Amino acid sequence: MRFLTQDPTLADFGHDPWWLILLKIVVAFIFGMSMILLGVWFERRVVARMAVRPGLNQVGPFGLLQTLADGIKGILKEDLLPRTADKVVFFFAPTVPAIFALTALSVIPFGPMVSIFGVQTPLQVTDVPVAVLVVLACSAMGIYGIVLGGWASGSTYPLLGGLRSSAQMISYEVAMGLSIVAVFMTAGTMSTSGIVAAQAGGSEASWSIFGWHPTVPSWYAILLIPSFLIFVVSAFGETNRAPFDLPEAETELVAGYMTEYSSIKFLLYLLSEYVAMVVMSSIIATMFLGGWRAPWPITAFWSGANSGWWPLLWFLAKVVLLLFIFVWVRATLPRLRYDQFMKLGWKVLLPVNLIWILLLGGLRVMQDEQFSGRNRWLIIGGAVVAVLLVALLWPARKAEPKTTLEEQMSARPSGSFPLPPLDLQVPPSPRAKRVVAERRPANVTASGAGSGQVADADTDADEKEV
Amino acid sequence: MSTVLAAAGVGAGEAWTFWILGPLAILAALGMVVARNAVHSALWLVLVMLCLGVFYVVQAGPFIGLAQIIVYTGAIMMLFLFVLMLVGRDASDSLIEVLRGQRLAAVALGLGFAGLVGAAFFRALDSRDAIGLAQANAEGNVQGIAASLFTRYVFAFEVTSALLIAAAIGAMILAHVERHKDQKFTQPDLMRARFAPGNYPGPKPGPGVYATSTSVATPGLLPDGRLSDRTISPILPKRELTEAESTPKATEGR
Amino acid sequence: MSLSAYVPILALFALATAFTLFSVGISQIVGPKRYNRAKLEAYECGIEPSPEPVGGGRFPVKFYLTAMLFIIFDIEIIFLYPWAVTFADLGLFGFVEMLLFIGTVFIAYAYVWRRGGLDWD
Repeated sequence: MRFLTQDPTLADFGHDPWWLILLKIVVAFIFGMSMILLGVWFERRVVARMAVRPGLNQVGPFGLLQTLADGIKGILKEDLLPRTADKVVFFFAPTVPAIFALTALSVIPFGPMVSIFGVQTPLQVTDVPVAVLVVLACSAMGIYGIVLGGWASGSTYPLLGGLRSSAQMISYEVAMGLSIVAVFMTAGTMSTSGIVAAQAGGSEASWSIFGWHPTVPSWYAILLIPSFLIFVVSAFGETNRAPFDLPEAETELVAGYMTEYSSIKFLLYLLSEYVAMVVMSSIIATMFLGGWRAPWPITAFWSGANSGWWPLLWFLAKVVLLLFIFVWVRATLPRLRYDQFMKLGWKVLLPVNLIWILLLGGLRVMQDEQFSGRNRWLIIGGAVVAVLLVALLWPARKAEPKTTLEEQMSARPSGSFPLPPLDLQVPPSPRAKRVVAERRPANVTASGAGSGQVADADTDADEKEV
Repeated sequence: MSTVLAAAGVGAGEAWTFWILGPLAILAALGMVVARNAVHSALWLVLVMLCLGVFYVVQAGPFIGLAQIIVYTGAIMMLFLFVLMLVGRDASDSLIEVLRGQRLAAVALGLGFAGLVGAAFFRALDSRDAIGLAQANAEGNVQGIAASLFTRYVFAFEVTSALLIAAAIGAMILAHVERHKDQKFTQPDLMRARFAPGNYPGPKPGPGVYATSTSVATPGLLPDGRLSDRTISPILPKRELTEAESTPKATEGR
Repeated sequence: MSLSAYVPILALFALATAFTLFSVGISQIVGPKRYNRAKLEAYECGIEPSPEPVGGGRFPVKFYLTAMLFIIFDIEIIFLYPWAVTFADLGLFGFVEMLLFIGTVFIAYAYVWRRGGLDWD
């Protein structure tokens, strides 16, 4: 392995002089803050573009400084303390999620060993044997800020929002905690730099298909794809992002737990949401997307891509890509209903996760224990038969008897609210009409009978060009 | 290997952490006892748990430290908070003694227990060095825990799962209101009830606040000029409108 | 592995705490203060806030059940982590052990599911 000397191990941490520690934490802090600026900008600009609007374009180049302007404006607003609020808790609740979200940045690996002012040091604030647990602990502690903020406001909407949010976050923490078990099983460590090193990859598989040893994909996103998908879904739930942004469902709860907050306290909640998003993106990149390592096609023709300061670029690219996906999902998917959301977390993600862990464990054990070929196939066959049997014997839900439209109509009690006739024709989508119009040559005068239609099509096409 | 450091003696950083967080933990524990509001008590307890977690890490047990933070502060204290909020926001402790002389007995017993524990610790720690930490953490803390948990203490580990079953069943019996499938009010049921005869399915009209006055207590007008009761929220207190509220706003003359 | 590797985590925690407390504190000074009774009332879409029920805002016991289930699975996860890290060394014995453990907890899970504890309505 060419890059092994570059890889920081756990022994490389904890030797930094004090000024380097200070430098690193300040840089990590600034990284978090600047990613917020970018995140909010992304949020508004990308969503605007997806909704065919220009989006931010007034303050700074491409509206990049809009977040800063909003922040300053927020600071200069009046800080309200509601009459019914619990004064002390109301005061410090907004700081909690922000503090813990920022603390989680301390174990994110940004790059390999580099030289800073002559000191050889890993490009990471610190790493410990339980680094991933530090992130989990931080996200668990962040929930306090939300539930306390909702409770301390002394108002109904925030209380409901805070409760919903905390129930949601603890539900998805289970799914998230379980999905990284497979990563630990494969990497054999809980330190973030160790997990990145374990994804260095390119190794040949120990098993073979007719004597051919395929190259195992190194990223856990491919190798452990169920874990990856579950982790990403639960990351959305854990950060209260759309489509799981139920605590701030405006139509039901005003602004959720933030309703009574104003000025900087409100901004701190927003800040913690975006920092949590950045932390989650970084953790996804670290645990599933190879961390700071360059993606495959780059390493194929450039051997130096994983050394020096370049990995910082790959890491940032992955984080920004994931942030983009966060925003993209928000622009695309509608919000889930609360019962659907809880059902997804408890009834789908959790059992799938457990079964996947056991499946992976079983496969790995069979690899390691050197079962003879026949026994191995017997076990696999037995497992498949068992699964099929369970699937076959699973009590199927009775299909509801089909009723015709007339029966449904006549079943309605007399005096019901009048409904439009249910067999109305759905008009064709205007988008489809436009596509048809664009394909047709713009020729108004030539056609006789269908001229009105063609004229219609023309105006449609014109509208599009405007 | 400076986990050996703890075995050799107390490191400077460890001492600093202890002397800062130790008093903080004690203060928080006192705060938990003293606080009037139950939620404040729980928050002080959260602080105690956090300090304990850091103590474990400092004592070269990082896994157990983080587990303390994740399970105790993250999960169990959250349950405490939920339960306290279940009871209600302003429910403070009643200060009426149910058992006579309960406080005196509690103070005496508490002091006695503290003396006992203190004496035991004093004798145990007096000029004695801790040993075995380096061996226990030889292959790393997590690996060491796994090695003993999944080999030597395997029975205790398996029995824990039975404990979890008991917890689940207990929670279900205490907190779950079982309803038969037929009694469940599903979304189609709601819609049927909404469109049932006699019920107006649309949203209720807003109050007449924008038309004539600045008060939401102003009823809206029906097309024939009568007042509509449906436009006023039932939770609003009924009161007489003041002169300023009831006089029509001067919109014509402008 | 030295304990000094944990120092930066505490340092970043301290920095974040200082920053947030500073910003919360400064908002008391910088922002304007214009007293208005209506502004300090709880927000309820512009109407006068409905009085809270006796004993403050109560909420459904359902949340308690969710928190309890969360604890159960959190403990299971905490047991899974050391197992996962040392999975390669534990081998078949460790796997069977965990199979039993997860299986037993799964009974609790199936029971809660069957009784409708996971339904939210």
